[in-house]
Amino acid sequence: MAITILAPVVEDVRQDDSHAPHGYADQSMSEDSDSDVEMGGVSLSQKRRPRDSNNLATGIMTPGEVVTDDPQWMRGHGTYTNPLSTSIIATVAGHIEKVNKLISVRPLRARYTPEIGDLVVGRIVEVQSRRWKVDVAAPLLAQLPLSAINLPGGILRRRTSADELQIRTFFSEGDLVVAEVQSVHQDGSASLHTRSLKYGKLRNGVFLAVTGTGGSGASSSKPKKSGSSLARDWGVVRSRRQVWTQQTASGGADVDIILGVNGYIWISKHVEGTDAASSASENVSITRMEEMVSSSIYSSQNDEISPQTRHEISRLSQCIQVLVQNGVRVEMETVQAAYEASLQVDLEVGDDEDELSEEGRDYLEGNKASRLIELVEQRWAKQEKIE
Amino acid sequence: MSNPRQASSASQTPHLSPAELSYLYTSLSLPKGPIRPDGRSPTQFRPLTAETDILPGTNGSARIGFADGTQAIVGVKAEVEKTVLASDILQQDVENDLQAPSDRRDGAESTPSAAAGGHGSWVQMSIEIPGFRDDDALPVFLSEMMRESLVGSVTDAGKGRDTEMAGGLKGRLVINKRWHWRLYIDVLLLSQPLSYPLPLLSLTTHLALLSTKLPKLKSQGEEDPFFDDDWGVAEHLYPRPSPSASATSSQIRPPVTLLVISVGDNVIFDPNREEISVADAVLAISITRNSEGQGLKLLSIRTIDPPSRLTQPGVPNSENLSTMAATGNSDNAAAANPSAGQEEVPGVWRPRRGGIKRSVITELTRTVLKKGGVGEEVLEGLEGVEV
Repeated sequence: MAITILAPVVEDVRQDDSHAPHGYADQSMSEDSDSDVEMGGVSLSQKRRPRDSNNLATGIMTPGEVVTDDPQWMRGHGTYTNPLSTSIIATVAGHIEKVNKLISVRPLRARYTPEIGDLVVGRIVEVQSRRWKVDVAAPLLAQLPLSAINLPGGILRRRTSADELQIRTFFSEGDLVVAEVQSVHQDGSASLHTRSLKYGKLRNGVFLAVTGTGGSGASSSKPKKSGSSLARDWGVVRSRRQVWTQQTASGGADVDIILGVNGYIWISKHVEGTDAASSASENVSITRMEEMVSSSIYSSQNDEISPQTRHEISRLSQCIQVLVQNGVRVEMETVQAAYEASLQVDLEVGDDEDELSEEGRDYLEGNKASRLIELVEQRWAKQEKIE
Repeated sequence: MSNPRQASSASQTPHLSPAELSYLYTSLSLPKGPIRPDGRSPTQFRPLTAETDILPGTNGSARIGFADGTQAIVGVKAEVEKTVLASDILQQDVENDLQAPSDRRDGAESTPSAAAGGHGSWVQMSIEIPGFRDDDALPVFLSEMMRESLVGSVTDAGKGRDTEMAGGLKGRLVINKRWHWRLYIDVLLLSQPLSYPLPLLSLTTHLALLSTKLPKLKSQGEEDPFFDDDWGVAEHLYPRPSPSASATSSQIRPPVTLLVISVGDNVIFDPNREEISVADAVLAISITRNSEGQGLKLLSIRTIDPPSRLTQPGVPNSENLSTMAATGNSDNAAAANPSAGQEEVPGVWRPRRGGIKRSVITELTRTVLKKGGVGEEVLEGLEGVEV
C-alpha cells in the first residue's frame, strides 16, 4: 500500500471534565440558551485545570496559564508573578518542576544555550573576512574565527594573509562542521574552535536535526529512577559519550554517530583515516601526523559507500527520529537500544507477513514506531534493574 | 534562512553541504532501488491523518496533517452568480468577448454551451502559505496548477451516467442559462512548508470538494433560482452513487495532483525537502478516474523548476587547495576556480543541469497509471476516508 490515511486522534477531554468544578455540561447549556455576549465571559472563566493535592496545576502548561494561586510557592524559571497577586503564571509551554518550594516550568523545547566545552554540529551560513558565522540552533549565530581552526600543513603553521584570501577553501556556506564551544560571550553567542583531529568538516553521511531542550538545563539531570525516567528530557543531552562508532548489522560497515548538544546530529560512514595514519607510520612525529590527516580534513568529496552501509545509516537516522517523536531522550544508550530494537522488529515483521510488507519495509516511522519504543523501554527497564 | 530569490523554485531549499548532496544523490540514484533517508520505498507516501467537515461555516472543508507536522485546511464556499455570458449569447453576434475565449474556440456551434457547459473562471482558488504574499509566484503557480486540473477533468460527455456531472465540475456549477454557482476554494497551509506543499494541498482540496454540499434547488428551468432551506437535503457537489447503482467506484471524484521527482533513473513519489533538493527533475502529475469508473486518466504533467541547479558544487580533492597544501603544490592557480572541472568525479556533487530522459517519463506514467499502481492506491486510500 503506497499510502496510509489515518483518522485524526482526539485527546480525551472527558477525563478533565470530572475533575473540573464546573464541567462542560453547564457550559454548553449556557451556550444554547444565552446570548452571544454573555457566553464569551462565562466559558473563559470556567475553564480551569484540575489541581493536585498541593494546589498545583497538572499536565502540560501553556504560556499565560496560572500554575498556582497558593502563596506558599516561590517562582522559578519559566514563570512570572503579577505584583498585585500571588498567582504564579507560566511563560513557556512545558512541565512543572518543583524543588522544595520552588516552582519552575521546564519547556518542552527550547533553543540551545551554548556552554563552554560543548560538542556541537553546526552549519556555516556566512563567510566573513576572518571568521565564519555558524548556525548552531542557538538564538545567535556562533562564530568560528580563522585563527581557531587547524590550517592544513601542520598545527604550528602561522596564519598568513593567503589563508585569509582562501577562506572559502576551508569552509564555505552550507558546509557542516563539528566543533567545540571555546567561549561564550556576554550576549550568549558562542565562539567555536576545531583545533583537534576530532573536529572539522563533515562528509560521508546524513544530517539530522532534532528538537528538544538541547543542552539547556539538562546537564544536571541524571536519569531519575522512576517510570518516566526515559521521557524526561527531550532531544540530545550532554553526556559522557556523544561521538561513537556503531557496528551495524546486515553487511553494513561501521558507522560514526556524532550527537551535537545543540540537537544537530551527523551519521556517517566510519573512515579509517585517523587510525591508518597513526598505525601506518608509527615513527612519524606528532606534527607530521597532523599534516597527513589534514590532507582530508577540508575535503568535500565523499568516499565510496556501499548500499548496505547506506541502508544502516538510514535505519539509524530513523531510529533517532522515532525516539524524538516519542519524547525519549537521545544519547548513546538509547540510540543503541533503538537500533537493536529496530533489528528485532524487522525480524518479527518478517515472521508475520513475509512477502506482503516487502514494499517499504524499511520505513520505521509508521506502524513500527510504537513497537520499537516498547522494546526500547523494556531494555531500559532491564538495565535499570541490573544497576 | 529562506531566500526570497528561490521562492519560486520547488521549495525553499535548505542550505546543504556538497558532501550531503552527493551522498543523497548517490543513495537515491542507486540502480537497485533507491535508499531514501527515511527508509520509505520509492512509491511510499508519508502517513497522514485526514478529516472532513471541520468548518461549520463552509459548504465543505477538510484537514490533512502529515506525520512531520505540516497541516493544511481547505474550505469551499459556493455563491450564486448571474451568468453574464448568457445575455451576450442572446445577441449572437458578440464574438470577441474577452471573458470567454476558450469556450468560443470551436465556432458558432458552441454558443449555447458557454451557459450549458460552464466556465473555468467560475472556480476560484486562493492559497495561503506562511511566509509568502498571496501574489508571490509559488502560491499563484500552485493554485493555477490545481485549478487547471479541477476544471479540465471529465470534459468528455460521460454518457450513460447521471447527467449532473456530464460536463465535469464546470457543468455541475450551471444552475440554468442565466444563473450559476461560483466556487471559492480557500487553501490554508497551517505550518511552514517543510517540503513542497503541492501533494498535501491537492489531497486536502480533493477531500474538501468531496464533502462540499450545495443547497437543493427548488425552482425549475429558467426561473430565478430558489433553494430549499433544509440543509439536510442538500446535495453533494460531487454526487454520491445511488445505492441501487453498482456500488463500487462509480462515483465521480475530483482529480488529485501528485509530486514526483526523478533522480538518475529512479522515480520517487512524495519527496521530502532534502530529496527535492537533489532531484534531476520535479514533476506534478494530475490524475483522475476514468468517466466509466474503470482505470485512470492522466490529466496533466507539469515540470517544476528543480532547486538542485542552485546548489553549491563540491570540490574534488584533486582541485582542492587546502587538501593539496599537504602535498606541497599549493600554488596551482587553476584550482582556485571550483567550477573549472567538467567531468564527473564520484563522490563530488555537481549541480544538476535539469532535463529528463524519455525512458524516465515512460516509467513514471506506467507506475502511476498501471492497474494497482500508485495512482490507484492513492485514490483508493482517499476513498477510504469518511466524508
